[in-house]
Amino acid sequence: MAVEAMGHRLSPQGFLGRLGAGLLDVLQVLGEATLLFVATLRAVPAALHDRARVGTQIVRVGTDTLWIGGLLALFVGMVLVVQTADQIENVGQDILGPIVGLAMTKELGPVLMAFLLAGRAGSAMAAELGSMTVYDEINALRTMDIDPVRFLVMPRFIAATVTLPILVLYADFIGVWGGAAVVAVDPAITLPVRSYFARMFEWVHFRDILIGMTKALVFGMVASIVPCTFGLRTKGGAEGIAASTTSAVVWSFILILVWDFVIVRLTFGLD
Amino acid sequence: MAEPTPKTRGVTVLLEGIRKSYEGVPVLRGVDLEVAAGEILAIVGQSGTGKSVLLRQIIGLERPDAGRITVGGVELQRYLAMSPEEKPFRIGMVFQSAALLASLTVAENVSLRLRERGRHSPAEVAAITRHALQQVELAGTEEKLPSELSGGMRKRASIARALAIEPELILYDEPTADLDPILTEEIGRLIARIRTTRGATQIIVTHNLPLARSVADRIAVLAEGRIAECIPPRELGASRHPLTREFVRASGLGA
Repeated sequence: MAVEAMGHRLSPQGFLGRLGAGLLDVLQVLGEATLLFVATLRAVPAALHDRARVGTQIVRVGTDTLWIGGLLALFVGMVLVVQTADQIENVGQDILGPIVGLAMTKELGPVLMAFLLAGRAGSAMAAELGSMTVYDEINALRTMDIDPVRFLVMPRFIAATVTLPILVLYADFIGVWGGAAVVAVDPAITLPVRSYFARMFEWVHFRDILIGMTKALVFGMVASIVPCTFGLRTKGGAEGIAASTTSAVVWSFILILVWDFVIVRLTFGLD
Repeated sequence: MAEPTPKTRGVTVLLEGIRKSYEGVPVLRGVDLEVAAGEILAIVGQSGTGKSVLLRQIIGLERPDAGRITVGGVELQRYLAMSPEEKPFRIGMVFQSAALLASLTVAENVSLRLRERGRHSPAEVAAITRHALQQVELAGTEEKLPSELSGGMRKRASIARALAIEPELILYDEPTADLDPILTEEIGRLIARIRTTRGATQIIVTHNLPLARSVADRIAVLAEGRIAECIPPRELGASRHPLTREFVRASGLGA
């Protein structure tokens, strides 16, 4: 099928040329991701008929992320307690609970789980869709009047968007208990576990959990739409699939951080 | 449940002045071609001359830069804009790579469009799937994954998938690429049998001249982005076109 002519690309000359080409490429990816996002939202009502496919993807995303996510959250909670205790010698250890609670619910839980989802499930999405694009499976769907967005992207989008908030709650829970375990057994920490939780509940409000959930929802969308975008724009053979997968993960990470800042800024000072 | 009745109809295909370029490099430079209803047309040409590109224009996966495509009397863009229910005929395509969905079984692949449309009962879908697989002699492979099939079986499963929608037009992109001569002959017999049982119009892109000669009513030679000539197989030997002569010589079909 390859047409030699398709391989000819104008390569920009000089620094400015390459910079311009790079910027255009960035804009193109963002444009394609936005269009795919809109098309996917339009396809969401079809999820009622595609419950089996959505369910399969939820299980896949969940099992891809659950154990490693739990392990990650556990150690992050534990490290957070030890590291903070080391830094706040003069302030008093009763701040450990609020720090672990707020850090996990508002920032570390959503961002770490989103990174994990993008790295595990997202890379799998990009590779799978990339392979389907390269080997004409996407075109085969089109020739059968089957919309690839509805058939492939929408179930993955819903799975990631629904699963990530659940994973974040799970990570928050494990992270907080990981911190509590260290508080309980580490001789360097004199704070009673009861005080750790009491101070945490004083500081962590429902609003903080809601902000974490909002982040998880947005990050779930990013961590599925970006990999699907790269999967569907894959060109070339195995090399193209590998390049798409890598780009999908890197772009997901960057856009998760950008949206993290946007949400933090928008919710700044909210009571 | 009765087996699905064979269809005996095809559609005409008319290409007028089809041009297509990629990044300024012309691939198709004005292709004119007319295919009669029920005809088997083979398009041959050297690798990289745009045979597959031409097929992609006909099925609407790509849009030509210029020219007009009419299938079954309907302008292609109008056909593509129709909902699946409105379409007056169906087009099936067999891709070079077979393009079976790796995560689905053979039966799921073959019945995919029927299940997605939701207009047939599960029993009807099963019957149509079974019939399509029997036609390509793949009965018994329903539960296998594409990765468990040989190259030839994958191609035949792909043909079964095209047949399951009862198409009036079937397009084949290099259906015998990477297949040995025995499997190539098998695919050729299958294409001929589809004409007998269904009467669908079939367009085959191939660089396998023996296959083209054995199954096609006419052979179109694509050279330099245009149809250099379109002749019945029996006239191949008498062709004066240098590319056709070279193809005949290289395929060992010469005198």
